[in-house]
Amino acid sequence: MKDHHTAESEIMTDVKISARNVQVWYGDTHAIKDVNVEIKDKTVTAFIGPSGCGKSTFLRCINRMNDTIDVCRVEGDILIDGEDIYDKSVDPVQLRAKVGMVFQKPNPFPKSIYDNVAYGPRIHGLARTKAELDEIVEQSLRRAALWNEAKDRLNQPGTGLSGGQQQRLCIARAVATAPEVLLMDEPCSALDPIATAQVEELIDELRQNYSVVIVTHSMQQAARVSQRTAFFHLGNLVEFGETSQIFTNPQDKRTESYITGRIG
Amino acid sequence: MNEQHIASAFDRDLEGVTAMIMKMGGLVEAAIVNSANSLVDRDTELALEVRNGDKAIDGLEERVNEEVARIIALRAPMGSDLRIVLSVMKISGNLERCGDYAKNLAKRTSVLAEMAPVGSSSQSIRRMAREVEKMLKDALDAYIQHDAELAADVRNRDREIDQMYNALFREFLTHMMEDPRNITACMHLHFIAKNIERMGDHVTSIAEQVIYLVTGEVPDENRDKQDRTSYVTEPGGMRR
Amino acid sequence: MTDISANPPAGMPAAKSSLLVQNDRTRKRNAAEKRFEIYGMMALGFGVLALVVLLTSILGNGLSAFQQTFLVLNVELAEDRLDKTGTRDLEEIKKVSTFGYAPLINAALEQKMATLGIAIDGMDAKDAGDIVSKEAAAQLRDFVLANPDLIGTTQEFRVLANGRIDGYFKDRVTMDSAEIDSNVSVEQLQLADALKEAGALTTGFNWSFITAPDASDQRPEAAGLGVAILGSLYMMMIVLVLALPIGVAASIYLEEFAPKNRWTDLIEVNISNLAAVPSIVFGILGLAIFINFAGLPQSAPIVGGLVLTLMTLPTIIIATRASLKSVPPSIRDAALGVGASKMQAVFHHVLPLAAPGILTGTIIGLAQALGETAPLLLIGMVAFVKEFPDAPPEGFFDPASALPVQVFNWTQRSDPAFVERASGAIIVLLVFLIAMNTIAVILRRRFERRW
Repeated sequence: MKDHHTAESEIMTDVKISARNVQVWYGDTHAIKDVNVEIKDKTVTAFIGPSGCGKSTFLRCINRMNDTIDVCRVEGDILIDGEDIYDKSVDPVQLRAKVGMVFQKPNPFPKSIYDNVAYGPRIHGLARTKAELDEIVEQSLRRAALWNEAKDRLNQPGTGLSGGQQQRLCIARAVATAPEVLLMDEPCSALDPIATAQVEELIDELRQNYSVVIVTHSMQQAARVSQRTAFFHLGNLVEFGETSQIFTNPQDKRTESYITGRIG
Repeated sequence: MNEQHIASAFDRDLEGVTAMIMKMGGLVEAAIVNSANSLVDRDTELALEVRNGDKAIDGLEERVNEEVARIIALRAPMGSDLRIVLSVMKISGNLERCGDYAKNLAKRTSVLAEMAPVGSSSQSIRRMAREVEKMLKDALDAYIQHDAELAADVRNRDREIDQMYNALFREFLTHMMEDPRNITACMHLHFIAKNIERMGDHVTSIAEQVIYLVTGEVPDENRDKQDRTSYVTEPGGMRR
Repeated sequence: MTDISANPPAGMPAAKSSLLVQNDRTRKRNAAEKRFEIYGMMALGFGVLALVVLLTSILGNGLSAFQQTFLVLNVELAEDRLDKTGTRDLEEIKKVSTFGYAPLINAALEQKMATLGIAIDGMDAKDAGDIVSKEAAAQLRDFVLANPDLIGTTQEFRVLANGRIDGYFKDRVTMDSAEIDSNVSVEQLQLADALKEAGALTTGFNWSFITAPDASDQRPEAAGLGVAILGSLYMMMIVLVLALPIGVAASIYLEEFAPKNRWTDLIEVNISNLAAVPSIVFGILGLAIFINFAGLPQSAPIVGGLVLTLMTLPTIIIATRASLKSVPPSIRDAALGVGASKMQAVFHHVLPLAAPGILTGTIIGLAQALGETAPLLLIGMVAFVKEFPDAPPEGFFDPASALPVQVFNWTQRSDPAFVERASGAIIVLLVFLIAMNTIAVILRRRFERRW
């Protein structure tokens, strides 16, 4: 068991996202308390914890989606590649091209499959010609393992796909803007086991090109999919470490209680 | 912090499998004591009892394995639950081997009862067996109480078992060199002593499982083994 | 409530009742629900009955407005009457008023009677000429002014018959009533009968009801909806061009961009209140601001359009907000997540999805505006307007009328023929309203399928 640990940590990867003393208030409620975490590049990090513990809130801080909520206030530093994303000169729109998001319920636009994937590159001006745009769409669909099923129906509405396919379409859409970080908020909770397995396999492949942060309610999923896991409880980051260690020998009693099903 | 699972059936499963281990432990302890007594008292009936009793131990081991497989499949245990389940599996294997050794002891007792006794070796053997039985008792107590210190202590006491075995080994050599008619009996007695020493190793393994269960780490393999019998016939021999 | 058929053994639950037998509670509840259903159907029945009565009354009175009695006459455009100088000079010809044309018509009728061999006792030429509408003289004059080179020839004209004659063929006027009526005589009716038999007088479909401008009290037969329809059309155009963009823009701002504070709450409450304000208040507002303060011409479609815009704005804003709210927030989140700005998310994603609702709300708002009368009365659109307004945009400033106002106007007039006219106008109005609402329903259905 220990030899395995050493082998993992010897893989030298850079820190992609660094959060320091992050606090989040919803009105008067102190939702996230003093979170410090470092997320490495080209790895999958899972956030687990009981309902209402703040993992989704923290996730949404990373791409500043919390800005859309008026009563939400964020303090502390969140740095991506060393740059503070809450700096005044940062445009959230530009940030969200770099940090993509996939939501819990698949939400493709009511447009064609092609337009769904092409929308992001279009508004960010990533393609100069139609041919380039076609190229981006194809590559994104391939990356999302949807190309074979979709290539003959690119002009049909995205909403006509099955649940698992829709979620992969959303992943393709997120990937199309050439992000460096992918945030996934319980991406499989609305899918059946087979679609879930396909998406998990996809996440494993995505790891080669992106840093993935996934919030999940299922500990088995976190165990299967991630290399590092963070356990949140009541707004605090209780424990953060290698996934295999968290699930076989957690250091904190709260973590132990949660993963063995003794609380929440 | 709640000690019980939200799914109470999970608690019952773990309790059930632990109870089976304790039952197995009790049977094995009895088997060790009875087989040693039967040797000293030359009681072939008791020896037969011990041999028949091994079936129950084997049966329990099978049931433990089935139950563990079921728990892993249905409950996907994590953290300390996972360690409980894994350790239970190994402990049951260790106990089953101890039971087999006790049965073997009883078998040889039946044979030895026909021959002349050799010095006071059988009493020494009984003393050794008693020590091992105490170690087993403590190891199982440590398991129930999640007491890593007691388990570490048990682990160290194996040294004495090894030393007792060394002494017996020399004694048998001496007896065999004195009078070749003793060879058959001494051979049997030697195997018995060896088996008891092996039982000690298994009990040590049980203690190590307890430490793994409690701390989450398997203790260092380099413990102090005192078995010097490998070097007996070499120059400088057992003084190494 | 359950039936205990036998004593159950101690410790066991009571024996269950059979599903095949309804217990009291269920029966009572079923009866109550049945009664409620019947109440609903009765209410529906009353509504349908009222509608049927209304429609029967309107159709009964108004359908006849689409039929009109005509005479075909060959009128000699005598040069000595119309162009005494013989130079075909328009200024000279214009000097001849409609009074000069009346004898020509009388002569033509006399000739017709002679040709057909019709003679009625007790009737002179002037009486006979009276069966023709006074409008005919104006019709003739307009024709001559437009074609002066045809003076001297004989042309065939299709002229309207007098209102009373027309009423005779529509059973408003009878021989008995003619005896006490000062506007028509029994002999005229007999003449009309004779002409009809001979085929010179026909009752046919009356396009001019829809195309002709309004006519004075004495000539109900010539009264038409042309000006009113055009006026309503202009006003609808103004409402569409103004209310739709303003309403949608205001709504989008309020829904998507405005901060949620006390000011915006206040605005929201006021918009809902505005929708409930009586329409006549808007009329006073229009009078005060647009006519008195801004000096816009009275009775012009521009003023009517502006007033109706103010009235329709709340409806459109409320409908737009409801449509915007109905777009699920997941679409907005998805757009923001891909890196769209708020504006892009609204215009690329939310608005297209809300479009069917907005369109439906707009069309319903327009339909409501089409039927509004009270504010238009106050800004002077109740006037008698005989000339068609010009083409837009100048036409917006010319005096015009509106359909509902025209109905009101006609009901005020004394001649019973105007009752028929008013009912006919109501039918036209209803047809437009039904058409607009049907378009709204079709559009909604069509867009909803794509969503």
